[in-house]
Amino acid sequence: MSGGRFSRRELAALLGLGLAAAGNGGAAAPLRGRVGVAPVKPGRLGAGEAGEAVARAVRAATGARTAEAGLRALFSPEDTVGIKLNCLAGRGMSPRPEVVLAFARLLARAGVRPERIVLFERSTRELRRAGFTDCAPFSCEGIDNRWDPEIRTSGQIGSLFARLVTRECTALVSFGVLKDHDLAGVSAGMKNWYGVIHNPNKYHDDNCDPFVADVFRCPVVRDRFRLTVLDAGTAQYDGGPAYRPSATWPLGLVAVSADPVAVEAWGWRVIDAERKRRGLPPLAAADRTPRWIATAARYGLGEGDPAKVREVRG
Amino acid sequence: MSGRRIDRREALRLAGGSWAAAAAAGSLVQLVPAAGEAYRPGQRVEGGPIEGIEASWWKRLDGNRVECGLCPRKCRVADRERGTCGARENRGGTYHSLVWGLACALHVDPVEKKPFFHVRPGSRALSYATAGCNVECKFCQNWEISQFRPEQVGSVWMPPDAMVMAARRAGAPLVAATYSEPVIFWEYVRDVSKAARKAGIGSLVVSNGSIQEKPLLEVLPLLEAYKVDLKSFRERFYREVVRGELRPVLDTLERIRKAGVWLEIVVLIVPTLNDSDAEIRDLARWVKASLGPDVPVHFSRFHPTYRLTNLPPTPVATLDRLWKLAKAEGLEFVYVGNVPGHPGESTDCPGCGARLIHRIGYRVLENRLKKGRCPDCGRVIPGVW
Repeated sequence: MSGGRFSRRELAALLGLGLAAAGNGGAAAPLRGRVGVAPVKPGRLGAGEAGEAVARAVRAATGARTAEAGLRALFSPEDTVGIKLNCLAGRGMSPRPEVVLAFARLLARAGVRPERIVLFERSTRELRRAGFTDCAPFSCEGIDNRWDPEIRTSGQIGSLFARLVTRECTALVSFGVLKDHDLAGVSAGMKNWYGVIHNPNKYHDDNCDPFVADVFRCPVVRDRFRLTVLDAGTAQYDGGPAYRPSATWPLGLVAVSADPVAVEAWGWRVIDAERKRRGLPPLAAADRTPRWIATAARYGLGEGDPAKVREVRG
Repeated sequence: MSGRRIDRREALRLAGGSWAAAAAAGSLVQLVPAAGEAYRPGQRVEGGPIEGIEASWWKRLDGNRVECGLCPRKCRVADRERGTCGARENRGGTYHSLVWGLACALHVDPVEKKPFFHVRPGSRALSYATAGCNVECKFCQNWEISQFRPEQVGSVWMPPDAMVMAARRAGAPLVAATYSEPVIFWEYVRDVSKAARKAGIGSLVVSNGSIQEKPLLEVLPLLEAYKVDLKSFRERFYREVVRGELRPVLDTLERIRKAGVWLEIVVLIVPTLNDSDAEIRDLARWVKASLGPDVPVHFSRFHPTYRLTNLPPTPVATLDRLWKLAKAEGLEFVYVGNVPGHPGESTDCPGCGARLIHRIGYRVLENRLKKGRCPDCGRVIPGVW
């Protein structure tokens, strides 16, 4: 490790072996299986409230003394950080701009240059629709069909990836929401990466298994991935991926994890608990088991055993 | 695509519009206009959002979900999501086709290029496609349009009447839905075929055959001929290389034959994957028994592309072997494709063996047919002559 940033090997070791990180006030606890959560209000939010929630969740996820130190352990000042948003469902069920901007500001305070922080989605139109109109000093852009011409094969998928991801970003963050998905079961951080390939419609068979894991496993994503952040102030337990207001509930959390699989397993658990509370069958009984979580774990991408996923309150 | 490609300027001209007028009116726009606004035929359309039309074959499920009724995949599609083809989208519980009228490829090709060898030899076909496909062949030759969504490729607005007018101006007695997968733009195929029929123009479909019975039977009466790409005679190949199913394709072949629409079959022979004697023997026997010995079967040469670049082009010796094998099994019209100059490009009389249509590449050098019969022995040669 140099300058407080984990190398890919160190991060993999951390995630895979559960070793304690050391140095520079960075993450002091194992990151594998660890999901940091902090309370956040649903609905409209002040910048201060959003900042506080995000910082607490980052601290909880990394075990660092400060959120900035936690991020410094994961990102380098030289990084160009792409923050992939999930705005498919419009303003009602997208990460709120104030939460996203709070995270971007935190990243900047951790040393990443603001002009190298890029908030992005599949299209500029989706960003605008979700309220991302003024994101200065950060970049905010749609992929808008700018694809790297190389077909990349990963497991069963073969796709063009966004040029922004393959050529411009050195680090990636999945910034999503927590919601039910009609086919994938859960849409949180990992399913969000479907938005960086040109042909996501091809990969919804068999409850998206193994395709969600295959997209993530592609080196252009896997090697750049640093964090998943979920704005789960409001979450959705049914009727996704579109926004269905009647199927939402105020979960009131921001969730952060450096383990891309654990946070999905956590989200599955949370959604199923809410479904149970409302008398709905669990996702497995509703014909949408997110089996791709187990597949991702089998690939060695993170912790998929719900029993080993630890929710750490910040 | 080695056919004559129509550029935007020519598309405008063919469609009866004027390039200068369109440009002056600012019609070369990025986005599709909202509902109610009209495009000019030949107008360039790219980006999104796309308005689309309500699809014709689907049913509503609970919770704003829909089930597509077009192809055997029967995609269950949640609100704001698309089917596997990428060309159909659920919007608030109503399923939409996003590609009606949006031709992303438009060429004048010889009909032999489709290939149809028993349909009006030497004729030209105005050939069109939209973006999208319901399978994902790892060897797809047209993946740059078939494996993309409509807003990811540039298209030209060509409603059915404009298509027919373009065919007339190009001197083409045929229009052909081809290149990507016509099943995913089936409403467009239906409406172009209706307009073509009124104008005395024949309509062809070049398809993978993955379609449900109802939409197939609704459109078949409008067609002059149907070519099916039978990718293999093994389910495993369909599962692993095509991401589709064999059985529904065989059902389609039988339905087309039963409906009396002229049928030809193409099998792309991919080295080591579907080139065994056993598989081709099974295929030939099935065609003979289920469809009849007079259905033309074309064995085409594979060239590495898309996701299958680790295999060499099909050896000509392999095609020779399978060509002979299929004929020995009793198929009367077996052809070899993508090997210019191969004797398997020509049509010989199954009765007396005389050469009837001599072809090299897509060119017809001689056509000796007399009113659909062999001039030497008088045998009827089936087809649309």
